[in-house]
Amino acid sequence: MKKIMGYRNIGLVFGLIGLLVLAAIITPSMFSVNAVISMLRNNAVYVFLAIGMMVVLVTGGIDLSIGATLALAGVACTSLMSSHGEIPTVVWVLLSLVIGMLCGAFNGFVVGYLKVVPMIATLGTMYIYRGLAFLLSGGQWWFPHQISESYQAWAAKRILGVPSILWISAIVFIIAAWFLNYRTSGRRIYAIGTNVESARVAGIKEARVRFLAFVISGALAGLAGMLFTSNYASCTYSIGDGYELQAVAICILGGVSITGGRGTVDGVLIGWLMMSVITQFISLLPGLSVWQKALQGAIIIIAVFINIAMARSSEKRFLKERGALL
Amino acid sequence: MAGENKATVRDLTVKEKFKLSKFLVRWEMMLIYILILINLILAVARPGLYFNIGTIQSIIQSGLDLSPMVMGMVFVLMLGDIDVSIASIMVLSGMTTGLLYQNGAPVVAAVLAGILTGAACGAFNGVLIGYVKMPAVIVTISTSMLFRGIVEIILDVNSLKNFPAFYNAIGWRNWGIFPISMVLYVIITVIFFFILHKSTFGRQLYIVGNNPTTATYSGIRVERVKLIVFILMGVMAGIGSIFFVGRMGGGLSSSMGTGYEMDVIAICVLGGVSTNGGKGKVYGPFISTFIMAFLLYTLGLIGVDANTRKIVTGIVLLIAVLIPSINRQLVADIRLKVLYKNNKNIEALNLKTAAEVKGLKAEIARLKKEGAASDKIRKLEEKIVSLQNTCKEKTAQMKAELAEDARRNKERFS
Repeated sequence: MKKIMGYRNIGLVFGLIGLLVLAAIITPSMFSVNAVISMLRNNAVYVFLAIGMMVVLVTGGIDLSIGATLALAGVACTSLMSSHGEIPTVVWVLLSLVIGMLCGAFNGFVVGYLKVVPMIATLGTMYIYRGLAFLLSGGQWWFPHQISESYQAWAAKRILGVPSILWISAIVFIIAAWFLNYRTSGRRIYAIGTNVESARVAGIKEARVRFLAFVISGALAGLAGMLFTSNYASCTYSIGDGYELQAVAICILGGVSITGGRGTVDGVLIGWLMMSVITQFISLLPGLSVWQKALQGAIIIIAVFINIAMARSSEKRFLKERGALL
Repeated sequence: MAGENKATVRDLTVKEKFKLSKFLVRWEMMLIYILILINLILAVARPGLYFNIGTIQSIIQSGLDLSPMVMGMVFVLMLGDIDVSIASIMVLSGMTTGLLYQNGAPVVAAVLAGILTGAACGAFNGVLIGYVKMPAVIVTISTSMLFRGIVEIILDVNSLKNFPAFYNAIGWRNWGIFPISMVLYVIITVIFFFILHKSTFGRQLYIVGNNPTTATYSGIRVERVKLIVFILMGVMAGIGSIFFVGRMGGGLSSSMGTGYEMDVIAICVLGGVSTNGGKGKVYGPFISTFIMAFLLYTLGLIGVDANTRKIVTGIVLLIAVLIPSINRQLVADIRLKVLYKNNKNIEALNLKTAAEVKGLKAEIARLKKEGAASDKIRKLEEKIVSLQNTCKEKTAQMKAELAEDARRNKERFS
């Protein structure tokens, strides 16, 4: 029991449970198996974006270009797929990863090696990638009949009753957790975020770690782009507009610190679940669907407020304990 | 004796002599050069259009719909904070004005209510950022959702069509040869210039932006400064709604103006305001507002479509932030890495030799001017050659030693 209560994200779990209880009382129709699966599937793209965003946030940066990267990768894969139907779909998955990595690598180069502030650098590349996506698409729309069965299957095919996009996000989640917790390079990301100076003294190459963080975030955004087009079986250059802020919001809900150094993959997962439940819950309430944005904004503010208040009180308690010991 | 003991009072006022060579390479001058360059391109590409007062007026009018918010954003960035909720605040205060005006409120009351709405939104941000000490990015991202959400709740899919008549005039009319929006923008800029560069509050902003801790210890109430700046930002967003709605032809719906916050930040950064805080001037962003207007219009005239122009905006933004980081230190670092193989001894030797050679060359030039004997000059020239040769030899020797060391290390550890 003590171990459970000591779990870092216990506050988040309680918040999620409260939300679920509230939803169960007001809109019981949310809790059929099909409804839950479709809710998760509609929000699955955010898992990739949020985990990528978390990696960058942990280094103390922010990546505003992931929405545009998603669009660029999605448009590239869809347009090539519709003209070259004979090539196996795995190629497109790999292509989306490569495009994402390239976008991320450019961000990482500008931020890590040229030392530009991450927010401004990715703001600039956001414009660039979105523009490139437009150029590539030529303003065209792709509709379900232009998208092949095997391409759609990457998100829609059900394995054990669960759509494969959810399986893929589960795999990404596990790999990310393993990488960030058990690999040296993963721990270096936290080291940079916690204290750049001491990390540098410890011999960690700051620029390289930042570069890596942006490459990870870009690659995940690229993958998300392919899966997005596969999931909704449609595509245009404006997909994923504003998703970067949504991803930041999920991370904040999941207890990731915007100043760097703190944030866990499981926290992000809980934040993602909360966000999906909130969105679904509000959209099911009659006449409240226009309230969605305002409520989301308000909920994030409150969540961050509680988060900061709790952090401050625990800090005070810690200082008090130390003072008592001294 | 008493007079001798008295410590001389040092003159602490910084006196900088006006130097033309320094003045010409200042960032603001660079911006003016860019503006002139764009104008030249436009004049050459479309002479028929360019030499026509109406074209210039419409270019300026098209680019100034976000201008009031630029000035507010300068202050926010000066603190090292950021505000991405301004587009939402703008739409919200525009909606307030529109609703009140539609329901028969007098013009002055409606407009004031709109600006006050902006101020209230700004105060909400400011309290959370200044007093609760939440990060500005998070607060303004969520309040941008909140404020736009409120507009969505109230307007739903409807749009407002009734706005005071002077809105349209600000967006589209001229006073004499000057567009009204430009005249107003100049007035706003002058006011902000005096606040930032000539008042105590402006100096406080620089200190808070450079180091909040120092600011606190020197008796500046950082929380209050932040609150005031964010309220000011809200007011400017409220005024911005007048420009914006006027430019949009007097209509407003809930999805308008998305992405304006990014454009405003881009203009500020291009104008030389550092996002880390504590650096920037009012007139840089003033010029860069016009640069953006001319650039986008020129691209449009050349036939580049709206979405491709976004790429240009992005590239301009990136270049603008990259240029200040290209300085002597960076060049020295690159030289150290490429030429001297990361060895400081080699670098020092080369720099010393270069300095000596420079001194000798200056000596030669002086002697030549004085018309001294040619053998003296020849001697100095020989000295230069010998210095350069020893330097080259030593560098080669050191590099060889480095290579040898590296080889040995490799052998030992393999």
